[in-house]
Amino acid sequence: MTEVHNLGVDAISCHAWNKDRKEVAICPNNNEIQVYKRTSSGWKLLQNLQEHDMHVMGIDWAPNTNRIVTCSADKNAYVWTQEGDGKWNPAWVLLRINRAATCVKWSPLENKFAVGSGGRVIAVCYFVSENNWWQCKHIKRPLRSTVTTVDWHPDNKVLVAGSTDYKVRVFSAFISDMEDAPGNGPWGHSNTLGTLLAEFQNTPNGGGWIHSVVFSPCGNKICWVAHNSSICIADATKGNAVIRLYTEHLPFLNCVWMGSNSIVAVGHSCMPMLYSIDDNGQLYFVSKLDNTQKKEAAGLSAMRKFQSLDRQARTDTNDNALDSIHQNTINCVRKVSNNEFSTSGLDGQLVVWDLKLLENSIAGLKIA
Amino acid sequence: MSRNDGKKDSSASTFRKIDVDQYSDNNFREEDADGGIGGPTGPDENEILTLLSQGKNAEALISVLRSAPLGCKNQQVKDNARNLTLKVLLSIKSTQIDDCLGQLDRDLLDVLMKYIYRGFEIPTEGSSSHLLTWHEKVYNISGVGSIVRAFADSKRA
Amino acid sequence: MSGTLKPYLAAVRRTLTAAMCLENFSSQIVEKHNKPEVEVRASKELLLTPILISRNDKEKVLIESSINSMRISIAVKQADDLEKLLCHNFTRFMTMRAEHFIILRRKPIEGYDISFLITNIHVEQMYKHKIVDFVIYFMEEIDREISEMKLSMNARARICAEEFLKRF
Repeated sequence: MTEVHNLGVDAISCHAWNKDRKEVAICPNNNEIQVYKRTSSGWKLLQNLQEHDMHVMGIDWAPNTNRIVTCSADKNAYVWTQEGDGKWNPAWVLLRINRAATCVKWSPLENKFAVGSGGRVIAVCYFVSENNWWQCKHIKRPLRSTVTTVDWHPDNKVLVAGSTDYKVRVFSAFISDMEDAPGNGPWGHSNTLGTLLAEFQNTPNGGGWIHSVVFSPCGNKICWVAHNSSICIADATKGNAVIRLYTEHLPFLNCVWMGSNSIVAVGHSCMPMLYSIDDNGQLYFVSKLDNTQKKEAAGLSAMRKFQSLDRQARTDTNDNALDSIHQNTINCVRKVSNNEFSTSGLDGQLVVWDLKLLENSIAGLKIA
Repeated sequence: MSRNDGKKDSSASTFRKIDVDQYSDNNFREEDADGGIGGPTGPDENEILTLLSQGKNAEALISVLRSAPLGCKNQQVKDNARNLTLKVLLSIKSTQIDDCLGQLDRDLLDVLMKYIYRGFEIPTEGSSSHLLTWHEKVYNISGVGSIVRAFADSKRA
Repeated sequence: MSGTLKPYLAAVRRTLTAAMCLENFSSQIVEKHNKPEVEVRASKELLLTPILISRNDKEKVLIESSINSMRISIAVKQADDLEKLLCHNFTRFMTMRAEHFIILRRKPIEGYDISFLITNIHVEQMYKHKIVDFVIYFMEEIDREISEMKLSMNARARICAEEFLKRF
C-alpha cells in the first residue's frame, strides 16, 4: 500500500535511494544530507553528511558504484564514497561555476555527472585517476538563464537540460578524454562536448520556466513539465515533434517515466498525477493517484459547518489539512522499482506509492 | 607636478556608472520571432462591431479571441484589442455566457482568461462585476491552469 | 454593490492560489545570495505577468509574482476624507510592526494602501491555502474595521459636540 514515512524533519528538498532501496539520502531543506536506513523498527539515521555551507540543491545516488553526489547553493559539489566501516567520505569537486548549483545527475554508467547552475552553465564532471580528482568541463552556449534541471540519455553521451529561459536543450555530452565514440542515437551526435543537438521552446505562447525534463527509458523521447501548467513530450524519432498538454492543475515540479508510455508528474497540487501516451502518440491525463478523503472530525461536523458559516461566512469547513497525503508541494519524485515511485515534499513526508495496488483501487486506472 | 601634467583628461567618470552586465552576450533576450511587425495586427474592429450588432455574440467572441495580437510588441494595438474584447464581453449577457464558452476550445479559453484580467484594469460602471461572472465561469471549465497560464505566458494580452 | 463581494474574493482567492507556486531560487546576479526576485526585478525572465483584479474603480488588488516570491497589493475602499484618514492610520499601525506580521511589506506599492510580500520560505513554513485564507480574511476584515472605526468616531464626535454645546 502507499507507505507514508515521517522522518522527523519539517521539509525535504530532495531525496535519493540506494540500489536495494533500503537506504535513502534526504536533504531536510538545509545544508546537510541525512542518510537513513530502513530497519524493522522504523528508520534509523545512519549519518549526517555536513560539508556544504548553504542549502543542498540536489542529491543523486549512483546505484552500482554506490556513490552519492550532492550540489549546493554554495557553488560546490561533493562526491561521497562509503568506506569499509560504512562512513561516507566527501571528495570535493571543483566545478568552476560562479553561481549556485541547482541540480545534479549521475550518468547511466556512473562515470560522469552533470551539474546545472545559476551562472547559465552546465558542468560535466568525470574522474581522472592520475590526479585522483574530478575534472569538469563546461557547456555555456546558448544557455541564457539559470539551468534548473538536467537528465542523461541512456547511452551516457547525450544530455538534456531545462532552464528558466523557457527552453529545453539537448546537448552532446561526449568527452573525448574518456569515451571512445559518440553515440548513435536519434538525437544526433557530436565529437565535441556542448554541441547543441536540439532546442525546444516550452510553448508558442512564450514563457514557462522548465521545472524538470527526463529522457524516456529508451532515450527517444524527452518529457518536460513547466510553469505554465503544461506537460510536453518531444520525440526524436518523429523529427523532434512536440506534443503539448495544457493541464488545469497547478504547475508540476518534477516528473518520472514509469514504463515507456506512462509519466508520473508531481508538483504544487500536492498529489501525483499519471499521464499516458496513447497509440496515436497523444498525451492524455489518466488519473490523479491520491484518493485520500479528508479526515472527518469525529461527530459534530454539522455543528462545525454551521459555526463556520455563522462566524466567517464560509460555506465549506476549511480545515487545516488538505485532501491529500502530502500537505504541501511535492518537489521530488524518484522511481523505486518498475511499479513503485517515491515522492517527498515541503511537508517533510516521504511517501512510496505502488502503481499496481493503485491500479486496483482507482477505477479506470490502467498503466500503459 | 602631477604625473599627468594636464595631458590626460581624467575628469570623465561616467564610464564608471555603466552597467556592464546588461551588455553581456549571454543575457536573456525576449524571443523576437518576427520583430513584432509581421505579427497579428489584432481584430478587425468593423467586423466585430457588425457581428455584435447582428446579435452574433458568440461568433464575435471567437473572432476577437482568434485574432488576438498576443505576439505584437505595439502597446497601442494591444490596447485597442483589449478595448474591443471588453466590449464583446460586456455585451454578452450572463445567461448567454455558458453557451458561448461551450464553443471555445482550451487555447481560446486561456486567451479569454488573459483578456478578463486585462478588462479589470479599466473598470467602468458594472464592468468589473460582469467580468467577475466571466472569470468564475471560465475557471469552472479550465481550472486554475488557465490562471497560471495568464501569469506565465510571456505573450501577454 | 455588496453582491460583488463574494465573486471578487473568490476570484482573488483563485488567482492567489495560482500565484503562490513558489520555489527556492538562488540569485543569478550575486553569488551565494537568495533574494525575492519580485523585489529585485533584475532578471526579466524570472518575473510573471502582473495581474489586476478590480471590484470597481476604487477597490482593486494587484498580484505580482516571480519564481520565488509574490507581492499582493490591496487598494482599500475609501469613500470620504474620514475613511482615508482612518485607513492611513490603520495601515501605518500595521506596517510599523511589519516584522511581527511576517508577510507584510513595510511600504505599500505606489497606488495601493497595503502590500504583502510572500516568499518561498513562508510557503515552506506555512500551508499555502492558509496563507491565501488569511489574505482573503484580511481583505474582508479591513473594510469592516474601517466602517466600525468611522461609526465609533462619529458617535464620539457627536457626544463631544453635545457636551460642549450644552453650555450655551
